[in-house]
Amino acid sequence: MAEPILSVRDLKTYFRPDEGIVRAVDGASFDLYPGRTLGIVGESGCGKSVTARSILRIVDRPGKVEGGTMLLRRGDGRVVDLASIDEASSEMRDIRGGEIGYVFQEPMSSLSVFYTIGNQVIEAIRRHRKVSTKEARDRAIELLQLVGIPRAEQRIDSYSFELSGGLRQRVMIALALAAEPRILIADEPTTALDVTTQAQILELIRKIQVERDLAVVLITHDMGVIAEMADTVSVMYLGKVVESGSVDTIFHAPRHPYTQALLRSIPSVLAEPRSRLATIVGSIPHPYARPPGCPFHPRCQDAIPGTCDKNPPPATALDAEHEVRCFLCCEPAEISA
Amino acid sequence: MTNERIVLSVEGLRKHFEIRKGIFRRVVGTVKAVDDISFKISHGETLSLVGESGCGKTTTSRCILRAIRPTAGAIKFNTSDNHNVDVAGLKRSELRPLRRQMQMIFQDPYSSLNPRMTIAEIIGEPLLVNGVGDLAARRRRVAELLDLVQLPQAYMNRFPHAFSGGQRQRIGIARALALNPALIVADEPVSALDVSVQAQIINLLLELQDRLGLSYLFVAHDLSVVKHVSHRVAVMYVGRIVELMPTDALFRTPRHPYTEALLSAVPVPDPRKRAKRIVLAGEVADPSRVPSGCAFHPRCRYAVERCKQEIPELRPVAGEGMVACHRANELALAGVGTDG
Repeated sequence: MAEPILSVRDLKTYFRPDEGIVRAVDGASFDLYPGRTLGIVGESGCGKSVTARSILRIVDRPGKVEGGTMLLRRGDGRVVDLASIDEASSEMRDIRGGEIGYVFQEPMSSLSVFYTIGNQVIEAIRRHRKVSTKEARDRAIELLQLVGIPRAEQRIDSYSFELSGGLRQRVMIALALAAEPRILIADEPTTALDVTTQAQILELIRKIQVERDLAVVLITHDMGVIAEMADTVSVMYLGKVVESGSVDTIFHAPRHPYTQALLRSIPSVLAEPRSRLATIVGSIPHPYARPPGCPFHPRCQDAIPGTCDKNPPPATALDAEHEVRCFLCCEPAEISA
Repeated sequence: MTNERIVLSVEGLRKHFEIRKGIFRRVVGTVKAVDDISFKISHGETLSLVGESGCGKTTTSRCILRAIRPTAGAIKFNTSDNHNVDVAGLKRSELRPLRRQMQMIFQDPYSSLNPRMTIAEIIGEPLLVNGVGDLAARRRRVAELLDLVQLPQAYMNRFPHAFSGGQRQRIGIARALALNPALIVADEPVSALDVSVQAQIINLLLELQDRLGLSYLFVAHDLSVVKHVSHRVAVMYVGRIVELMPTDALFRTPRHPYTEALLSAVPVPDPRKRAKRIVLAGEVADPSRVPSGCAFHPRCRYAVERCKQEIPELRPVAGEGMVACHRANELALAGVGTDG
C-alpha cells in the first residue's frame, strides 16, 4: 500500500475544566491513505468528534492536544506534525481547508446566514488559491454543480436558510472541497438528514472520493453507514480505540467484547419483526467518572476481576490491520505483568 | 398479542395550515400537512407511522392527542368503559377525562423532564393532577411504576440531572404509564439515545406492551427500529398514507415504489451486503405545493401518464394491507430479506 497521508500515533486530547480532567481522546492511533475511507465509530462521549477536531486543531477550550504525533505528508512532500504546530499559525490555517476539508453534522450552524452560499464558497476558494473574483465565481458554480445542486448558476446567490437540509449539506461539501484538499473529514455528515437524502449524500462522497483520490475520515455512530462506506474501522469507547481493522473483520470477526456487543444491539431491517435486541448492561459512564483499567470492564460480561479493573489492556496485533485492546486477546504472560 | 377490540380508529383525518401574508393576513396558500388519512389500532397492537421529515407523521400524532385541532375527520377512541368518543370534535374540558387513557412518550429525554422536580414528583404528577389517591397511595404507585420500568425505587427522591439519557427515557415512560392508559403515542422515543441504550428501551417497550396490553402509535423515521417494534406499518408521503402493511410483508414485499426506495436507502450493518441502492432524485415534495396526481410521481421511476393526473386511492391489495399506487398490481418491487 502507498504511504499514509496522515499518520496519527497515540493522540491525547484532554479537557481540564475546573472540576477535574476529561481524557476525551486517550491514545488514538490510525493511518489515512489516498482513496480510502477510515470509519471512526462509537457512542456519545467516545471521543470520535474530538479526534476530528484535534486533527484540525480546532479543539475548544479548555481542551488541548497534549500528546502524540499527527504526521501529515503535505502536497509538496514535506512532513508536518500537526500535534506540535501552533494552532493559530498561518501554516495550520493553510492546512485547515487547504489540505484537510471538513464537513460537520449541523449544516445550519456551520453556514453563515449573512452571506450567500456563493460568497462563502468563493471566499473559501480565494483563501487558498490566487484567482480573480470572476474565476472564483465560475469555479464556485462548478463546485456547486459537482455536489449536485440543481440550477447552480442561480442557487449560488441563495442564502443557506433558503435551502433544504440536504442541499445545505451539499453546500458544506462544496465548501470543504473548495481548495481541493486531499483529506476530507466528515463528522456525522448525514445524521440530521432523512434516509433517502442520506443515501444521496453518501453516494456523493463516494463519487468525489474516487474522482479525487481523497482520503476520507467518516465519523458516525451509525454502524450501517460504516458498513456501507468504510474500508477500515476504528471502534472507540471512552477515548480509547478499543479495536481497529478492515471493515469485514470488524463486522464478521470482531474480538473486543464492546464491538461484539455493539453489533448485537443494533436494530436491523434484516431482523425478525418484533424480535428483542441483545443489550449492553448499564450506560456510558460520566466523563469525570471513567472507570480504571479497561474503560469497558463494568459493562463487560467477560471481564476478569483483578485484571480488567486494574490495568489498561495493551494493544494486541492480530494481523497486519487488526488490533484490539482487550486482556482476553493477550498472551497470558502479558496479563500477569 | 392483538385481539379485535379497536382502541383507536382514525377516519379521513385532515390538518391544513393556512399561509397568510400581507397586512390583511390574506390566505395565500394552504399546507396540507395531513390530507385524508385513515387507520385503526387494535388492543395490544403497535402501529408505526414512518416517513421522512414533513410527511405529516408528527402532525397526525398531535391531532390524535388533540395537541392541535384537526381540520376535518374523525378520531374515534374506544374508552375503558367501551364507549366510542370522537376526540376530533371535543372541547378542552371534555378532553380531560380522555387524556388519562392516551399518553405520550417524547423524543428528547433531556428537555421533557422538569429539572426542578424529583423523580417521584415527575412520575406522580399525572396522579396528582387527576386527583388519584392520597400522598401515600401516590408514592406506592410511583414505586410500582419504577419497578415496571426497571429503575431502583431508591431513585425516587433524586432529580433528573443525575440520570443518563436511557434512565430519563425510562422515567418518561413511567410517567406515561401512571394512569394506566390504553394507548401510548411515542414520537421518536429512541432516536436521541445511544445504540447500546436504544436497545434497552426498545426491549422495555415490547415487554410493557406484553404485560399491560398497551396499544402503541409509534412515530419514527428509523425503519430498523420500526421493524423491531411494529405489528403493522403505515408509510406516509406528503400528508398521505401510501402503504399500510403488516411489518413482515412491508419489508419483504413492499407494494409502493416509495416504500421500496425507502427500504433500499437504509444502510445495512453488514459490509458484505452493500446493496445496489435506488437513489431517489430530488427531494420530498413541498406540502404547500403538492405535485398533481400521485405526490410521489416526480421521483418515481415507475411513473406513467396516469400518475400525473389522478390521485391514487389507498386500496386493499391481494393478501393483506393497503396501498395507494395505480400500478400496485403490475409492479414487482424489491424488499429486504430477513436473516435466519
